[in-house]
Order: sequence, then structure tokens, then C-alpha cells
Amino acid sequence: MLELNGDTLKFTFPEVHPDAELTITFVRTLRIPDDDKTYPLPPGLGTFPLQHVDDHRERVPAKWLEHGGVMLPMFQAEALWIKFSSKHLYNRRTKYPFAVKIGTGKISAITGDEWVKIISENDYCVVPEQPWIDGYAVDDDQVRQFVAAPLGAGFTAEEQLTGKADHGGIQIEVYPMDFLTFDKKFPKIEPREVKTSGGVLRGKSVKCSAFAATGLNTRSLTLNDSMEQERGVSAEMGIGAGGKMKQEIFKDPHGMDVWQRSQKARCFVHLANSMAWEAITGKKPPATPVTASVYTGQGYPWFDYYDESREVLGGTDKLKGLKSIMELGFQKGMPMLPENESVDPSDKVFVIKGKAGPVRVGAW
Amino acid sequence: MSRFGDHIRARREVLGAESPEYGLRKVASRAGISPTYLSHLENGKTDPPSAEVIEALAHELGENADVLLALAGKVSPRLVEIIAKRPELFASVIEQFADLPDHAIVRVVREVRDGEW
Repeated sequence: MLELNGDTLKFTFPEVHPDAELTITFVRTLRIPDDDKTYPLPPGLGTFPLQHVDDHRERVPAKWLEHGGVMLPMFQAEALWIKFSSKHLYNRRTKYPFAVKIGTGKISAITGDEWVKIISENDYCVVPEQPWIDGYAVDDDQVRQFVAAPLGAGFTAEEQLTGKADHGGIQIEVYPMDFLTFDKKFPKIEPREVKTSGGVLRGKSVKCSAFAATGLNTRSLTLNDSMEQERGVSAEMGIGAGGKMKQEIFKDPHGMDVWQRSQKARCFVHLANSMAWEAITGKKPPATPVTASVYTGQGYPWFDYYDESREVLGGTDKLKGLKSIMELGFQKGMPMLPENESVDPSDKVFVIKGKAGPVRVGAW
Repeated sequence: MSRFGDHIRARREVLGAESPEYGLRKVASRAGISPTYLSHLENGKTDPPSAEVIEALAHELGENADVLLALAGKVSPRLVEIIAKRPELFASVIEQFADLPDHAIVRVVREVRDGEW
């Protein structure tokens, strides 16, 4: 079952386990520069608002109603990351495990293959091992950031890999672990043994009140309207490849057979460009986040997630060959990413250790 | 005596046993009110405060704002706004739910519709 709770997608599987609950949010962030560097993880700067497409039947494209699901607003060249949180079961000492497939324009962000309605070997990530995904898996420890581009102008991963602009949006499919496997792997422990973990869960989230005070977070990129009108590009956005950052997509440690295929739930997340969002919903979209250079200049932290105990999925050849929006813009003579100056956040990286990783203190 | 006052004092004292951050002065200061006012509220010497102050206290004390508002005999401005938009509909919905047991109410959820893709 899938509900929308405020800005959160909540997947629950009461037939599998009363606490099999996965929440997914779409997190606003700064766009990392697309240059020859590999950047650490950028911060979370709030969530994108989500709304049911059904609540705006008269104003959304007919195709969106056919897909069902939800929608969110993005500015052209804005970036996002996707955050996964699974409910902790104290009497099992684990969070309930899920397999999650992520696609953009019905292209898998993990393999670059066209979307299929089942899971297959290595085309999904596993929660709670994977706390978030920021982009397309292009190498063992590298992703290219998810960055919004107008659908139909040739910049999205979908258009690059299929030659068509049919789908756009972000697709999510969630499979819970089969209960019998879960019960065997994480047996119930007696209440007296239950101890809450002493570790502090550290969100990749930064409150930028300093920016609010100086008004810097209200700066917004202006949409290049003339380009859209001339080229007949719709109000619909897709996702293309931005700059490179260090992120590992961890391999499934449980094996493919443990995921309960009969219980999957899925969601089509449509991307409205911010102006279309305002026309559709009557509400202003959140302002564009700060640029990488302003953020870094203020001394705010970047992040590194570190779990060396796990095997990783390297990028596939398809995704390794993906051209970035920057590169395509250069080829087409259309500068797509404003404010792309390199930054050096190397002394501001806060290390977050994965569950099984060794302790590292004082990495500020 | 007031249910609202008793409740926030009890909650503050429980938290205060764990951390000095929950002294009267500190909580009042973080919630943006004076310690005297907080003390009066806790002792029921004054009427419950505005929804804004209640929400700030709920935040400081790790409580659900809607619960504190209800103890103070109020409804959050957000809910008032929602109801005011479609008063007939929501009044009748709430009336219908008035006597239902909790387990019957938590089943009322709106699913995100999935279509063809």
C-alpha cells in the first residue's frame, strides 16, 4: 500500500509484516559542479513537496493521469537526491529490509536498461544498507548527480539512451523481504534483551538558517523560457546526468530470491517544471537551493558515507557512456548549467559511517 | 489546576530529570515566553496561551502539538483552515468518526493511485 504523508511516500506491506514500512522523500540539494572532479555528497536542504496527480485532474497532462502517482516541482538544472528510511524493529534489531528499483524516464538508474516490471540481478538497491541515492551509477564508487532538464530537448538520460522523450519523471518500485526469510534472518529477541542502539542516526541534512537570514536561499535560477517556447518543449521535466560524486550503490547482501514479488508497490513521480507547478497547484515551489560555491564558501559541510564491509555494484557500460547535461549542452551550443564553477570542499567533509563500518571520529 | 498546565509541567519534569536543559527558565526561553508566564501556565493561574506558543512548547517538550492544543481546548489553525475550506464536508466526516474506535479510524487512508506505465 502506498500513501502520501505530507512530502513523504509511505510504502507499507501489512500482509507481510505490520512494521514493514519504507518511507521515501525527494531531497532538495545544491547542484554539484560538472567538471573533472569527483565531489563528496552534497547536503539535504529540505524536501520537495509532493501532490497526488489526481488532485489536479483538469490541469495536468492526460498522460500523468494515465500513469497515476504523484508530482513534484523542479527548476531546470536543479538537483535532487532520494532518501530511503525503513522502520526500525527493536525486537529484531534491524530495520525491515526492502529492495528498491529506481528509474528516470523508465531507464534504470542502476543499470541504464529500459524499465522492466520485475526485479532482476543487480538492478536495484537494498534498504537499509542504501540510505540514499543521488544519481546514476557510473562506476564502482561514483554516480552522476540527478539533475532536471526539460523533457524533449535531448538532455535526459531517457532521450540519450532510447532516442525518445516518452516518459520523463522518476519511477520507483519497492519489494519487501519475504516474511519467512526475514523471521529466519532476524529472529525475534526476548523483550529483556532489547536494547536501543546507542548510535545517533545522522541525517544528511543541513539547516541553512544563515542563508535565510541573508536572503541567499531565495535566489532562483530563471527558466530559459525562450528556449522552451522556440523548441516546443513541454512543462514536463526529465532527469539527466550532472556532475560526478562519490557514492557507492551496494550490492544485495541477501540474494535475489528473498524479495517478495507478489507484494511489490510502485509509484510514478512526475516532474513539473516550477512554473507549471505554480499554474497547476496555485502554490509557489520552494526556491532553488544555494549554489555549490556559495554553500562551500560559507564553510558548510559536505558528506561522505562510508561502509567498506559491503560489496558494491559498479556502473554498467551503458551508464558509464552516459553524457552529462553539461557535455550535451556544449555539443548543442546551449549552455545548460549556470554557475558551474569548481569548488573545493575537501576540508569540509563530514564522514558518516555505515552500520558495519569502523568508527571514525573527528573527521570535520 | 488545569489539564494543560499539569501536563506540560509533568512532561517538563520528566525531561528535566534527564537533562538540565529542561529547567523552567531554559524551556521558557526556547519557547519564546517568560519564565513567570510559563510558571503561571503550569500552575493553571492563567488561561492557555495562543496556538503559536502551544506549538512552540510542544516542539520543545517533544510532544504532539495537536494533543497539547486539545488539552488547552483549542484546534490548530492549520486544521481550522482545512475545515473552513469545506465546512459541511468536514463537519459531517468528523461527526461520523466521533464514536468510531481507533482501529476503525486508522484504516481510513488515501492510497496513491497507480496507473498504467
